[in-house]
Amino acid sequence: MASQIRLEHLTKRYGAVTAVDDLSLTIPALGVFGLLGPNGAGKTTTLEIVEGLRTPDQGQVWFGDLDVVRHPHRAKALFGVQLQTSSFFELLTVSETLELFSSFYPKHIATADLVRRFDLTEKATAQVKTLSGGQRQRLALAAAMVNDPEVVFLDEPSAGLDPQARRHLWDMIAGLKAEGRTVILTTHYMEEAETLCDQLAIIDHGTILAVGRPQDLIRERLPGSLIELAPSVALPDGIRFAAMTALDRGEEAVVIHSSDLSKTLVDLVAWAGGASVDLAGIRTRGSSLEDLFLSLTGRSLRE
Amino acid sequence: MTATLALVRALFRTYTRNRQGLFWSLFFPVVLMLVFGLLGNSKAISINLAVAGGSPAFQHEISTALAHSTIFKVKEMTPTAARAAVRAGSEDAELLLPAILTPGQPAAITLYYNNANQVAAGQTVGAVQQAVGAINLALSGRPPALTVSPQPVSGSRSFSYLDFLLPGLLALTIMQGCLFGLATGLTRWKEQGVLRRFLATPLRPVQFLGATVINYILTNMVSVVIILIIGVDFLHATVQLPILPLLLAVVLGLAAFISIGFLIAGQAKSQEAVVPLVNLISFPMMFLSGVFFSPASLPPFLATVVSFFPLTYLANALRGLMSGQLVGLAPALWGDLAGLAAWTALGALIAGRTWRWE
Repeated sequence: MASQIRLEHLTKRYGAVTAVDDLSLTIPALGVFGLLGPNGAGKTTTLEIVEGLRTPDQGQVWFGDLDVVRHPHRAKALFGVQLQTSSFFELLTVSETLELFSSFYPKHIATADLVRRFDLTEKATAQVKTLSGGQRQRLALAAAMVNDPEVVFLDEPSAGLDPQARRHLWDMIAGLKAEGRTVILTTHYMEEAETLCDQLAIIDHGTILAVGRPQDLIRERLPGSLIELAPSVALPDGIRFAAMTALDRGEEAVVIHSSDLSKTLVDLVAWAGGASVDLAGIRTRGSSLEDLFLSLTGRSLRE
Repeated sequence: MTATLALVRALFRTYTRNRQGLFWSLFFPVVLMLVFGLLGNSKAISINLAVAGGSPAFQHEISTALAHSTIFKVKEMTPTAARAAVRAGSEDAELLLPAILTPGQPAAITLYYNNANQVAAGQTVGAVQQAVGAINLALSGRPPALTVSPQPVSGSRSFSYLDFLLPGLLALTIMQGCLFGLATGLTRWKEQGVLRRFLATPLRPVQFLGATVINYILTNMVSVVIILIIGVDFLHATVQLPILPLLLAVVLGLAAFISIGFLIAGQAKSQEAVVPLVNLISFPMMFLSGVFFSPASLPPFLATVVSFFPLTYLANALRGLMSGQLVGLAPALWGDLAGLAAWTALGALIAGRTWRWE
């Protein structure tokens, strides 16, 4: 039976830098859970503490009733891990690599099955050094699955992949979820978070800013719609439109937040007509994770 | 256990597939052996001469006279010990004085020389005859005059430079295998994140350590055997091979250099940083520790410092055993083995405290 993972008051410092700051979080069993945040937010450190790879300065991690901080060795046998920069012996073949990792675990899946499942059949007897980026990433995923784990940790699984390889990887991650495993991944790609994750924690400066289903988070935190205008549109300071809740003057666009799109639009068009302002390029959309992230952290994910 | 053995097998595979690494680990020792093996005996002339027989006073008089020459290293010995020493190759020749001197008669001296190396034997006989002639001149007018009759000792062995070099090259190969192979390999794996990936599994650090040590003992043993085969079977180096003491010395040497390899890899942050560090440590030892020439020819202070180098201990032990000067577990061998054990402990201690997995 799958268990949830509880992170309680985790703190990890590196010298003067606090990478994880009194972080508490409950990750439900089953489904895909995403830690979303910019580089340096503390995602990887948090993940590695949960994996049993790092010891926190303070706090506890529970996998069901297993104390991960105290018994990392037991936890590691149950977890599957793909590290952000994990690499393998370049001169071993794909099959040999998977067999080597299998030998580390009490319980394991047959290498031939893993090779087939992660689309590595034609590379099974090729040395790791000959693999492409996408193939390496699939090998890393296969190596994370050798022990048939209940929980799979993926740290930036699609970093550096081209869009096609990324899609391919997402299908495989969705497959893990369909098998009834818990998948915990970090990402700074909005699309990945929206496509894959059942639940998200938005993390920055080592603390959790928001947790929930992506759509719920957006609906609760950023209800309403957005109107984007070209940055050349000169809105006077202090201007207000009907049902407008906020106004962002970005470099790429001027964004009007609205709680009632039609009311705001009518008001905006009336103002533009009176002031002879050209609204060419105007578009409206619902709030996205990107907007949510921006409103929570004050910075863009891509920074 | 399964995990450790699987890791040993994986490490061994990566070792055998690294063709470039394999080539370079054997290239230098083999080329050096070929050069010196084919050049033949290039030893500078210096003759170890045992003076035996005669009355103690006469023996001493002759040895003192011969010792004036810089060519000879003279020892006074009993005839039996002297002959054995010639046969074993530790003395080049024995000058056997007659027991009784008859006044008025020339004293007949027999020179038993080591005939395993024709060139060296010729040099020895010539040098001794010349020296005795000089003594005759000094004794002129004072009978009895001395005559020398040379006698080869068959079945005796000589030390060519290759015989001297071979144990040193084995020691050097072991050092290079551990420092370049292990230290750079570990640093690369550390830098690439291979080691961290292992840490994310239930593999225990001690299993990784054990597998690495076993692998490096195995692979270096293979190098040692290959070099021995080339040196002994193809280039006809004359060496003793007492298997058990040699194995003990090789394993202790490997242990010392493996722990130093871990120590270096623990310190180095990148592959760029590790190579100069390894060179800094291995170069002085390569040239001073008695691989190519005896450290006895160094200035005394430097020789004392060099005598504590791990490579000096290993080269001494291997050369002592392979030249037949150290038989079995001689006390002199224990000193070298203890030195290697001390380096193993020191290296492991510091490596254990400073090691980083990433």
